[in-house]
Amino acid sequence: MFDISLVRHLPKDTTVPFIKVRLIAMVLSILAIIASIFLFTTKNLNYGLDFKGGTVWEFHLTESPTDADLTAIRALGPQLNLGELAIQTIGQTDKDKVQAIRLSVSKQEALEGDENDDRAQQVALRSIQAAVVEMYPEVDNTENTLSVQVLGTKVSGELKRKGAMAVVLALMMVLLYIWFRFEWQFGLGAVIALAHDVILTIGVFSLTALEFNLAIVAAILTIVGYSLNDTVIVYDRIRENLRKFKKKPLDDVLNLSINDTLSRTIMTSMTTLLALTALYIWGGPGLNGFAFAMIWGVFVGTYSSIFVAAPVLLLLGVNRAGPQK
Amino acid sequence: MLHFSRWKITLILGAIMVGLLFAMPNVMSKDVREGLPWPLPKQTLNLGLDLQGGAHLLLEVDLKDGVEKTLKSELAGMRAALREERISATLRIKDEAFFVTFKNDADAETGAPIIRKQSVPVDANAIGGGGKTLDIEKLDEHRYKITVSEENIQYISDRTIEQSIQVLRKRIDPTGTTEMTLAKEGSERILLQVPGAKDVDELKARIAKTAKLGFHEVEVADSVVLQLCVEDGQCPLGKVAYPQRNGQGYMMVLDREIVTGADLKSASEGLHPQNNYPIVNFKYNARGARKFCDFTATHVGEPFAVVLDGEIITAPNINGAICGGSGFIEGSFTMESAKELSLLLNAGALPAKLDIAEERTVGPELGADSIQAGKIASMLGLGGVFIFMWITYGLRFGTFANIALATNIILIGGALSLLGATLTLPGIAGIILTIGMAVDANVLIFERIREETSNGRGPINAIDTGYRLSLAPILDANITTLIAALTLYFVGSGPIRGFAVTLSIGIVMSVFTAVVVARLMTSTWLRRARPKKLPI
Repeated sequence: MFDISLVRHLPKDTTVPFIKVRLIAMVLSILAIIASIFLFTTKNLNYGLDFKGGTVWEFHLTESPTDADLTAIRALGPQLNLGELAIQTIGQTDKDKVQAIRLSVSKQEALEGDENDDRAQQVALRSIQAAVVEMYPEVDNTENTLSVQVLGTKVSGELKRKGAMAVVLALMMVLLYIWFRFEWQFGLGAVIALAHDVILTIGVFSLTALEFNLAIVAAILTIVGYSLNDTVIVYDRIRENLRKFKKKPLDDVLNLSINDTLSRTIMTSMTTLLALTALYIWGGPGLNGFAFAMIWGVFVGTYSSIFVAAPVLLLLGVNRAGPQK
Repeated sequence: MLHFSRWKITLILGAIMVGLLFAMPNVMSKDVREGLPWPLPKQTLNLGLDLQGGAHLLLEVDLKDGVEKTLKSELAGMRAALREERISATLRIKDEAFFVTFKNDADAETGAPIIRKQSVPVDANAIGGGGKTLDIEKLDEHRYKITVSEENIQYISDRTIEQSIQVLRKRIDPTGTTEMTLAKEGSERILLQVPGAKDVDELKARIAKTAKLGFHEVEVADSVVLQLCVEDGQCPLGKVAYPQRNGQGYMMVLDREIVTGADLKSASEGLHPQNNYPIVNFKYNARGARKFCDFTATHVGEPFAVVLDGEIITAPNINGAICGGSGFIEGSFTMESAKELSLLLNAGALPAKLDIAEERTVGPELGADSIQAGKIASMLGLGGVFIFMWITYGLRFGTFANIALATNIILIGGALSLLGATLTLPGIAGIILTIGMAVDANVLIFERIREETSNGRGPINAIDTGYRLSLAPILDANITTLIAALTLYFVGSGPIRGFAVTLSIGIVMSVFTAVVVARLMTSTWLRRARPKKLPI
């Protein structure tokens, strides 16, 4: 029978000295965290409509828009007193289809905190739609609209608060669970690793200025889940090996455990990356940002389980007298 | 770990069968699905608005207005009660409270119980009495501060939202055939979702109009008084000025209506009997007919104003007593706008103003594109993972893992259909992600088996130990991921919840398929083949 089973040819007992390079990894991680925080405080995030409020209208003309079209439409902003319009064309995977235009009316400064912010947004949408229809009589508000999104300050503010709360809440629950199942050092170690992942993900979004919206918050929480999955597998093996090799120094036990689980770590990362790559390439524009965040998260999450979560135990120390469970 | 009793096997296969039955309708054509015999489930996944297209509107109800109105009417009630007992006191409204100041000690003494008596239980039927309608605070011997109580505000808000929902339902779906969601969301919002809505502008127009109709007595005022009222808001007591639709400036009317929209029985669009232009015909109910008859009989030759949402749409003269119980409004309507107005009048006025706090409209084209992209991405992702698992773990164990994965996908589909869950765009992402992550449990087990084999255990022993020792880490790892997913469900909103749902179901199903289904396959194979050496 034709049977490849590549796994048989993989080395069985790897002895990569992960723990030896922990200082380099630590410096690297700390630098990356500092850079992320620096970027976040200076450059902030490119918040999407979900968190910023505003109006986005996606529509298409009967033909793909030319540069002249885009300039003319952009000029509508100042004409209608709506400030600067952000305008971009959205590529279509289907060659037969015309490119769509994504038009964002940024929320005007004057509207900030205004009670009637919601109403003003709707007025802005109506006026911009009317103006475009007047310029291109063949455009029909209903037929040519791909999507409309209008979000007031109040709702977007709530979403932002809720999103941040979700991440913090998830981290706390996880800390409690790991504490309950392992020991407090493990719980703290896992949460440090997760915080590391979350901060670096926010950092990369700040750096690339990719749109940060609700889907990205979902991605961050999933990264938390994924990274934790990895960390728990390594921790579980550490616990087992601590019991098995009572005399072995802690750093050797950590290194052994990471190596024991290494092939599983690599396999799972591979399959997850396979699925995510498919999502990134073929999943359509709506899921692009999410897929990007997740791909990044798989790398960071895997790195942090090996180079952050395990070495942290060395710093915190583990009670080896009698790990209860 | 490798022994399965007969009833256990039956149970496992039964569970998979049920999952398959519930998942099947999703891949059938509509005709086949409709033709399924009775006990078989027919329901398919609900597609979210972002996938099937439609309008999602989150409406904010202006509750301040209702509370303010209550405060005003409570003030009027209290003033009347005090006057009846001949107690002198001044009542003044300020911000969200009103103040009662008694003239002297005697008035304060007799007046205090009267004030207190105005505060009645919010809901007479509530168990345990419930709260009172007003909070009364004694500031000093003569002064009281009165506010609408928390409970009453809650009660008014609930009722306002309830009524708004009823009115909206009648307005948007007068025939009761449109599929839509209309529900209270949080404490001051209404969620309106209309799948497949074509004309969102029309939908929004029906929401935006309060449709408060009133017939008012016209007050002839000189231009100075009118100007003062319009520009500075200093109107004579009980009078207001409204703009006219025909553009002829403002007109002053009595604030109190002769009849209101609530006095109408029905309305319909029609044509003017003589001039043949569009009008809105209406019929009064008994009370409205009597009131209007009485009024017109005593005001022959005078004009009255028809006011709709703060605009005078027409102000005809009364030629004689109108007692027939019906009438019509003319006001430069088109056939369309006459039809729209009769619809709004039939549905009734909204008790409060609604603002669109969030709008997400997706055209059907975009939704179809998203589904298509999701299908392609999941097929390719699934194919990639299948091939990877075959190449890595060989045909034997690779197939075990892949069957487990396929079962997992079927069970997710079945569970989503069974729960009536909604599949959203992020939900598709959740499924694709699950495809990648679901094999983790199997990988973990296989790696453990390999390790135990290299530790010198025989095939059966290695597999048994492998499954046994992997269980704890698999559960720990998946429970923690589940915690993250559940947090997302409870804190997240809208489409993101769809992601949390698919991810959570995916996690639970992946544990079941890897730990139970794949183990059943492995043990069956072990018993049949009795291998000397494992192919991994």
